[in-house]
Amino acid sequence: MPGIINSAPDCITHAEGGEKYAKDGADFILQANYQDCAGIMTFGPGSTYGEDGSGADTLYMILTWLGIVVMLVVLVAWVLYENRRLVTAALGFGADESPAGGPPPQPGGVGDSR
Amino acid sequence: MIDVLIAQVANLRDAAPAQGLTQDSVVLGEQFYFFTVILMWLIHAGFMSYETGIARKKNALATAMKNILTIAVVTPSFYYFGWWIYNCNQPGLPIGPNSTDFTAAACQGGIPWSDAFGPNLGNNINLIFFLAFLLFSWTTASIMSGAIIERARLTAYLVLAVILGSAVWILDAAWGWSAGGWLTLRFGFHDSIASGVVHGVAGAFTLGVLFNLGPRIGKYTREGLARQFRPHNLHMTLLGLMLIFTGFYAFYGACLVISSTAFPGWANIYLSPTTLGSITMVITMGFAGGFTGGYFASRGDPFWTVSGGLAGVISVSAGADIYAPTLAYLLAIASAAIAVYAGNWIEKSMRVDDAVGAVAVHGVMGFLGILWVGVFAAGYPTGVNNVDSSIGGQLIGMATFLPLGFLSGWVASFIMKALGILRVPPEVELMGLDVAEYEPNLYLPEVAVVTEQLVEPDGTPVDAAVVLQTARDEVVV
Repeated sequence: MPGIINSAPDCITHAEGGEKYAKDGADFILQANYQDCAGIMTFGPGSTYGEDGSGADTLYMILTWLGIVVMLVVLVAWVLYENRRLVTAALGFGADESPAGGPPPQPGGVGDSR
Repeated sequence: MIDVLIAQVANLRDAAPAQGLTQDSVVLGEQFYFFTVILMWLIHAGFMSYETGIARKKNALATAMKNILTIAVVTPSFYYFGWWIYNCNQPGLPIGPNSTDFTAAACQGGIPWSDAFGPNLGNNINLIFFLAFLLFSWTTASIMSGAIIERARLTAYLVLAVILGSAVWILDAAWGWSAGGWLTLRFGFHDSIASGVVHGVAGAFTLGVLFNLGPRIGKYTREGLARQFRPHNLHMTLLGLMLIFTGFYAFYGACLVISSTAFPGWANIYLSPTTLGSITMVITMGFAGGFTGGYFASRGDPFWTVSGGLAGVISVSAGADIYAPTLAYLLAIASAAIAVYAGNWIEKSMRVDDAVGAVAVHGVMGFLGILWVGVFAAGYPTGVNNVDSSIGGQLIGMATFLPLGFLSGWVASFIMKALGILRVPPEVELMGLDVAEYEPNLYLPEVAVVTEQLVEPDGTPVDAAVVLQTARDEVVV
């Protein structure tokens, strides 16, 4: 699709006149269009009938490891964030009235703006 | 004329290419696992309701959020590591995709950058089969989650869920719940619907965590007697269990391998033949027996009656592909009764504060289920090597899984405890996790303030505030 709304990367090709309606037509179209993009594209390596393992294209592997790193960073950040939040809350509760002086505030409790 | 037409139709039918039949079979299998994945979500809706109902009101939202966020961490970790662990560790040691071992092809499909692990027009099964296992992983992590409510940190649970859901259970599944597992091929280990592989190991892991986590403040008197915290909504808990039961049927179905081009069309995870009807009958009789045993052993206690159903099913799952329905019924009655006594013993004698009885219902029943196969199904040929099931083989499996589950949970929680990231501060525990984690006044409708109560060991309900504060001052958490 020509024009400014075409966001396809340069590696996309549009093969014409191929065996579009052959038995494996859908696969042919994907291969033809994406064959130069193998790697980071959604339908890159996984869309082909190629040998198992050929998907381990450099860009695809980088994309996978990026996901692994993000997952680990998120987990560590989550631990640190919750720790900070809990410590702050505990300090706040400690400076407040003792629970022994009354029942602990209930979720949604009326009249408790804590 | 009609005879000619019939003959032509018959000729066309006979001429149908085997390739077409195979393609149909593959697509049928893809659809089957897809629908089990959808239905297994009910297990997680159930775990959320189950645990939230058990929690005191001040911890309800934190408990529910913990269950939901299981999906956020176990899904990517199981995708990046878990499927590789399952597919590449079945002989006992990691293998590579180029190994001569017959599981090498499966290993290839477990690598996250494999062609088979992305959109692939030539492979309908690997992704959907992975997703069924992913739902098993959520379930395994959720088994632990209920036991540690009301004092464990959200992130402590999430880290433990990753370890249990994406590494520990799937390693034991590779060894004893796969066609190429060393326990199966060498010892005839038989745990077809994962009594021990999922439930037993998760229960053992949970016990290890509970040892380091400690009880909720005020759970035990100075003399070591157990107090009872009142669930804030037992109806929600029972509904949650019913949702879990519904999802369990999909769990059971997803444990089978569909092979619709060959009679009888189904095989268990070890590739030994069975039928969908067989396992469905056993799970249903397991529920019936479990409810019965739980009711009488607990003298009509609603929680233990319904938990008895779960215990009964878990206890017959290992042999669900081969048990006679009556055997399943009787075993479930006896096992559920044992679960009730085990739960009370763990709480009152071991003084382990397991808020939902997970160690008894899942852990004890899971390992008991493995043992029952050795007793009642000895001699049944298991797996592609047709090795006879036996008590010896089952005991070897138990001796492998028990330390794997317990030690991994204990070590992981010990490290987190040492780092100070396992448990919420006592001030937060007394006020309620919702207040610190989620500011529930912003989200929940106004309700009347109800004084929190707990039940003393002699059955007397008392105002919780003074008791908890006293316990907090006396006990080093």
